[in-house]
Amino acid sequence: MAETTVMTDPVTDAVDQLKRFTKVMTTRAAIAQTPKELIWTLNKAKLYRYMPVVPKEKRHPVPLLLVFALMNRPYILDLRPGHSFVEYMVNQGYDLYLLDWGAPGPEDKNLKFDDYTLDYMPRAIRKMKAVSGSEEFSLLGWCIGAILTTIYASLRGDEGLRNLILLTAPLDFSNKQGITFARWTDERFFDVEKVLATFGNMPGEMIDYGAKALKPVENYIGNFVKLWDNLDDPRVVEAWHAMNTWVTDNVPLAGGVFRQLIVDLYRNDRLMCGELMIRGERVDVSRIKANLLTVIAEGDHITPGCQSESINGKVSSADKELFRISGGHIGIMAGSGAAKHTWPHINGWLAPRSR
Amino acid sequence: MGDKAKSAKPFDPMEPWRGARDVYLDAWAKTMVDMVNTEAYAQATGTMLDMYLTASTPFREAVEKAMLKTLEQLAMPSRADVVSIAERMTNIEMRLDDLDAKLDVIRGLIASAGRASRAEPVRAAPVSRKPIAKKTAKKRKK
Repeated sequence: MAETTVMTDPVTDAVDQLKRFTKVMTTRAAIAQTPKELIWTLNKAKLYRYMPVVPKEKRHPVPLLLVFALMNRPYILDLRPGHSFVEYMVNQGYDLYLLDWGAPGPEDKNLKFDDYTLDYMPRAIRKMKAVSGSEEFSLLGWCIGAILTTIYASLRGDEGLRNLILLTAPLDFSNKQGITFARWTDERFFDVEKVLATFGNMPGEMIDYGAKALKPVENYIGNFVKLWDNLDDPRVVEAWHAMNTWVTDNVPLAGGVFRQLIVDLYRNDRLMCGELMIRGERVDVSRIKANLLTVIAEGDHITPGCQSESINGKVSSADKELFRISGGHIGIMAGSGAAKHTWPHINGWLAPRSR
Repeated sequence: MGDKAKSAKPFDPMEPWRGARDVYLDAWAKTMVDMVNTEAYAQATGTMLDMYLTASTPFREAVEKAMLKTLEQLAMPSRADVVSIAERMTNIEMRLDDLDAKLDVIRGLIASAGRASRAEPVRAAPVSRKPIAKKTAKKRKK
């Protein structure tokens, strides 16, 4: 059957589209709306506990702590109602906590992995244990948060860590050809000391540029074309708006951590070689005994799979799983398919191990 | 008529252009991804960053010196002073957190001792009630 064609005024349509486009681009979406309470702070770091919605007798007794990257806001885990990993896990009966690192100021330029993993994390975990009443706990680390949780699990894993979940974890830096960031930060081309002498901390805008420049056409053009084409679809616009709010909310990275990330990890692969020293202690990943779930995003251009694959072979955990899922670095947890694939898999793995 | 109206699709004169645009963008995206993965790109961006840092350093240092002198003249704290105070605040917060941890331990011990005493009631030792109030009253008189 032939379709009837209806003529529309392209100029009026374009003006309307432009208005909607401008509104989305210039406003912030309502994000991170799952109810929570602040239970601990130290410097810029904050520990939140999400309000349980499941009765205590039906809740998992082992609490779960979410640790996100240092240079992005953690509300990507609680992006918007109906599309929030936090909301999903709270509904599944977890006693859920989130460690928000905050934005480092000039006074924090010397903060290192040492401080985050041996000062901030143990203190936040102590508070979580006191509030939850459980001596055991689970940790979920995503991106740089996975580096932090891996270091913590290697050094302090015997302090009640039962389950460890690593999402898109940049841990193995041996395959230099497979990691674009490794090429960009090669010592022949990139002077870390000069950058840090100028800025103190690594500016959020520079980190954002680095992440976007990995796929420049998609991030600087395709992304906005996608919005323009779908301005009539409120679901697409709402999702795009929330994601854009998060993407443009950049946080600097403490100078000390940035130096360690480039010199110790990207250039010298010290973590997986067992040569990384944290306050005089050698980080030995073979000391990790917690149940381990490693999640790899097959389309991840920021942390390619080769950076996360080898950890499962090096830890001493008797119970470990490597889970591959199609999607990008952020998409696997915050994309449209996350609620159907990644979240149920994490819950399915964690629930029987949280009893 | 109703069915026809439902199946009606607005004519979009831009549709063919969009198709061509997407094909072009895909091809361009692939080329750019290959390009940014080369050593030449890494070298070029590194050189540009280095030039920017080298060129901006004298200006930045001059501004910092001028600002420091101005703040001194105005008897106002410099950035270094504020940073120093912030660092001290963090140290105080850590000490408070240590105290909080100790309080949690003490609270736990008291709670467990309370539970133990309820489980096994021990005969309380006789308490000598000294007339504290009277003594203090006498002292005051003296």
